[in-house]
Amino acid sequence: MILAIGMQLLLLASCKHDDLTIAAPNENIRPAADFVKNNYEMRLFYAAIKKVGYVDELNGAGPFTILAPTDAAFNRMGIYNPTDFDKLNADSLKKVIGYHLLPRKLSVTDIPNNGIDVRYATLSDAEVYTSRASTNPNGGAENELYFSGSEVTRQDVILANGTLHVLDNVMKPNFNKTVQAWLAGHPDYSVFVSGLKKFNLWDQLATTQQFTVFAPNNEALKNGGITAASLNEMDASKYLGDLLFGVYLLYDRHFFVSDGQVFSRINSNGSFSYFLKNNSHYMTFGGGKQYPSFKLGYGLVLYPGNGPSDSPIKAVTSEIVAKNDNLCSNGLVHHLVDGLVTPEQAIKK
Amino acid sequence: MKKNRLFQMNTTFVWLVACNFLLLASGCVKVEYSKIKEPAYLRVFNNLNYVQTLGSKDNKVPFFCMFINPVVDASGMPVSAEIVGDFLDQRDAYAPPYPSHIGTSTSVNNPEYPGKENVLVGPILNGFDLSSWAQVPSGKVRIMFAYRPKNTVPFFQLENHLKKDILIDTTINLTAQEVYTMHLLQKDFVTKRTGVLLRQEIFHKLPLSDSLAYVNFYNMSGKGYWEADKSLKEDNFLLASFQWGMKDDMNVYLSLYEDQNILNHKGPTVPGYKGKYFANVKLNTETAVVNPYSSFPIWASKSSNGITTNIWPRFDFFVPGMDVASNPFFSGSTDNGGNWVSVNCLQNGKIRMQSNDNAAILPNLLVNIHSGKNNPATFATVNTIEVVNGKVYLTTIQRKYAPPIY
Repeated sequence: MILAIGMQLLLLASCKHDDLTIAAPNENIRPAADFVKNNYEMRLFYAAIKKVGYVDELNGAGPFTILAPTDAAFNRMGIYNPTDFDKLNADSLKKVIGYHLLPRKLSVTDIPNNGIDVRYATLSDAEVYTSRASTNPNGGAENELYFSGSEVTRQDVILANGTLHVLDNVMKPNFNKTVQAWLAGHPDYSVFVSGLKKFNLWDQLATTQQFTVFAPNNEALKNGGITAASLNEMDASKYLGDLLFGVYLLYDRHFFVSDGQVFSRINSNGSFSYFLKNNSHYMTFGGGKQYPSFKLGYGLVLYPGNGPSDSPIKAVTSEIVAKNDNLCSNGLVHHLVDGLVTPEQAIKK
Repeated sequence: MKKNRLFQMNTTFVWLVACNFLLLASGCVKVEYSKIKEPAYLRVFNNLNYVQTLGSKDNKVPFFCMFINPVVDASGMPVSAEIVGDFLDQRDAYAPPYPSHIGTSTSVNNPEYPGKENVLVGPILNGFDLSSWAQVPSGKVRIMFAYRPKNTVPFFQLENHLKKDILIDTTINLTAQEVYTMHLLQKDFVTKRTGVLLRQEIFHKLPLSDSLAYVNFYNMSGKGYWEADKSLKEDNFLLASFQWGMKDDMNVYLSLYEDQNILNHKGPTVPGYKGKYFANVKLNTETAVVNPYSSFPIWASKSSNGITTNIWPRFDFFVPGMDVASNPFFSGSTDNGGNWVSVNCLQNGKIRMQSNDNAAILPNLLVNIHSGKNNPATFATVNTIEVVNGKVYLTTIQRKYAPPIY
């Protein structure tokens, strides 16, 4: 009896934890907008949030995921001071900033392994494209994350009402704008636009077909021997339009520059080769981090065909990050720094 | 005093008994065993293969959730089902006799159904182990395959707009106690038409010998695959000659090599088994006919002792009119216009020849395993080799073997 009672007492005593202490929860985790405000790497992003009136919402219950471009990213686009935002259209700015804000808590582990173009809703009316390189089938773990072509340089910063990822680049969504409307709205590319019109390649860019456009600006085309004046004098029937200007169009594909980088991680092959449409020339597109800047860029190499004896006609590397990855409703526009084909190379024989 | 002590002892004893009783009582749980009345046995393969590359990143990934007798709501979205086979990925090159991928896998992706699913499986039927076949209700059943995103979220927890993309919704008729394999196929490579093929297997009804290894062949490629341009096909050197496809009518020739450790296609072969005509295989994705089994003796080699043998088979597929002796191609030629493809079946299916040959690789049809005092002992199996577009698959069915002798 005594033994039994003793056992019971022992049992009871073992349940007693007078001096059990629990670490006090950290009460200093800030909500999203305050966190961004207090981070001097994101001054411009905070100024933009404030200007378009997202501050109160982002300090609310959430949950949110903030894709925060650094000041350096804004600088690359020519924005150095908070006042520079005043020069921009407030509605467009609100949509672009809203595109950087997700109404959910999205940690890296929530994104599928090796998920490509996984789409998540944003506070704007377009979805963000998320690509995550996490494993290489040939062995080895990867850890790279991209949102609509922008690299994440710091992942999973915990906020009181969500999470934050630091972006190396401002995302460039154009919502309902087609690649045609985008090109038409940028006078830098006016010679390219006239060329596309002259060779009947222009109208298709307003359809729902997907395009990846490598757009050479006027200077780039001048290097390739095409100016507005020389284009005017050209007799369209004597040139191969599908080579001279079609060379800058990739049909039915939707490539961010970062896609090349992601596939070089998960599939050891970040390039894509294709024949030009209605032409026997062969092109290789390859994207990835360029040496020595370690910023995303892409290369194009043009060959006369895909045989073993076809040596490259021209190779161009384009790595002005701030000008690539213009996301349109029917594809993407990337800036190209040099022309690929001269008029002499495209004369009909 | 003594009495008192005895009383104390008794009380302790009572306490102990009471505690024991409590423990026993709390350990009792009523287990509800699930049971399917009059089941048929079903195994499902997803033959729609894909590879993740930059060029194909925008293509729809053939990654499915399978439903048997689904309940759909007014919008056509499945809300529940009698049987759910989620995360159905493209099939593996080798479908082993036991669902052995469970032991080593850390992913939810299932290379076949039931595969990793924890469901009721078939019994040993006429000496054939059906643990890779799931029990499903017999009679007319509705079967549905829905596209799903490639992640780890179970189908019914996905957001609603992701649950409405149905690839196939059809009714099949299953007879109780019968064994079926079902294949999700691309029936036409040009139009991308897909469909299912339900094959009622007969291996468990055949009088098969224990000393012969059996194999039958199917070509379930999409119509027009071998004619199609190379740029449309998956470029994977491991598939060797198979990657560009084979013609619609092929003869199969068997060579039995003496030793799995000699990795040379010119290595010694068993006399009488060098390019021996073995079978014919025709493209068929429409009718569920079971192709005849061909066999070879497992003790064909003189070096075997009736317990173990180290031989392995190689299958050469030639277009009619060509054979091993009149083969115009050099041995390492992989791009033969669909006229000649070959596959080596040795070891664990991961070992390539060191010589210059053009064969794809699969595991050995003969099972060599430790059994009692024999290590290894060789056992015969019943196999199916299926060619789908640029890939070749082996399904091995294991028989009930003699018990080990110690």
